[in-house]
Amino acid sequence: MVVVMQEGAKEEQIQHVIDRLVSMGFDIHRSTGASQTVLGAVGVPADFDPRDVEVLDGVREVVRITQPYKLASRAFRPQGTVVQLPRGVQIGGKEVAIAAGPCSVETPEQINLIADRVAGAGAKILRGGAFKPRSSPYSFQGHGEKGLVMMREAAEKSGLLVCSEVMDASQIQMMLPYVDIFQVGARNMQNYFLLRSLGTLSKPVLLKRGLSATIEELLLSAEYIMAGGNHNVILCERGIRTFETATRNTFDISAIPVIQKLSHLPIVADPSHGIGIRDKVAPMARAAVAAGADGLLLEVHNDPDHAYSDGAQSLYFEQFDKLMGELRIIAPAVGRTIS
Amino acid sequence: MSVEDWRRKIDEIDKRLVELLNERSRCVVEIGRIKQVSGDALYQPDREKQVLDGVVKANPGPLPDAAIRRLFERILDEARSVERIVMHGGDGKKEN
Repeated sequence: MVVVMQEGAKEEQIQHVIDRLVSMGFDIHRSTGASQTVLGAVGVPADFDPRDVEVLDGVREVVRITQPYKLASRAFRPQGTVVQLPRGVQIGGKEVAIAAGPCSVETPEQINLIADRVAGAGAKILRGGAFKPRSSPYSFQGHGEKGLVMMREAAEKSGLLVCSEVMDASQIQMMLPYVDIFQVGARNMQNYFLLRSLGTLSKPVLLKRGLSATIEELLLSAEYIMAGGNHNVILCERGIRTFETATRNTFDISAIPVIQKLSHLPIVADPSHGIGIRDKVAPMARAAVAAGADGLLLEVHNDPDHAYSDGAQSLYFEQFDKLMGELRIIAPAVGRTIS
Repeated sequence: MSVEDWRRKIDEIDKRLVELLNERSRCVVEIGRIKQVSGDALYQPDREKQVLDGVVKANPGPLPDAAIRRLFERILDEARSVERIVMHGGDGKKEN
């Protein structure tokens, strides 16, 4: 960390800052300039808050050089993490993993039909919600465990894995036999109790970026899971809230290369939520793969017009097929494959 | 004298500097041990000021006073670091 003192800071102010930093456990490298003094502080304590130094008299700026997250940082595993799943599926390897399915699990017929179709088109993972965190308490809330049973059966028949959202730590044990990946939704990204609970498992966790979360906050949430011992974390960009109203969210494609630089964890993209409007999902999906995403989460529905939730952003089967064909052309251009 | 001759002379001076810096450091280690018992603060700004003023006063040049001050700031930085290790029960040696 570098502490830049104000121009003309008094010697007593500089001494006070050094005194505080020394008592916090830092080693100080002082550089006295003609008008400005800079203090290099080495050995950042784990619970350090830069604001404690910023508020001291005479301090102009505190620049933190190390990241507040350790396990999630690229330096922890420079070669990158490949999350291993059943049936030989990997996320973070050469192949771009496609997860597809409805927003909500509605009926056995619906989920079987969708699983069959998306598996045929090349998807490896069936995504779908059994618990639906909706903006309104009066909207469809999901089938719960019954929905998970339907999903598991459909996935087994089609040779897919299951990814479904866990809303609360109390659901984890019940969900364990049904899911291959626990999804943490955007609204729960900073539910630290849930993250800690998932950290005690070995089952992979797909962590979605919160609607207003910075990339650093997303990586700190990943750190919560990893600190508990579960290093099988998959990050997911799903769009953030901006001033733009033309789309549901602004899909932050730049997050993909940024995260790949900062972290060793795989990063997948959810263009369905990222954009929220069906006809714009495919272009964003193509862009995400071109930008280096390790996988995609796509909402696909047999009858989007009558879907219980998020119909407007769900792809028709034909659109999904066409998109998969396009992705198979794009992926090799960036050194990836799609089966 | 040739460049090589001057460089040989510099190498000899550097060896003496290393010896002197370590001799200084041994004194710091002893102070660290005393402070470990007495509980006195690691960082003593008045004493550091005294050291810096003293070396500047003793500076005959050609190095400018500001340069001497900067060099000794680095020496003090390292001395504090050594002293901290001693005060925490180490022998004053850092790994890096």
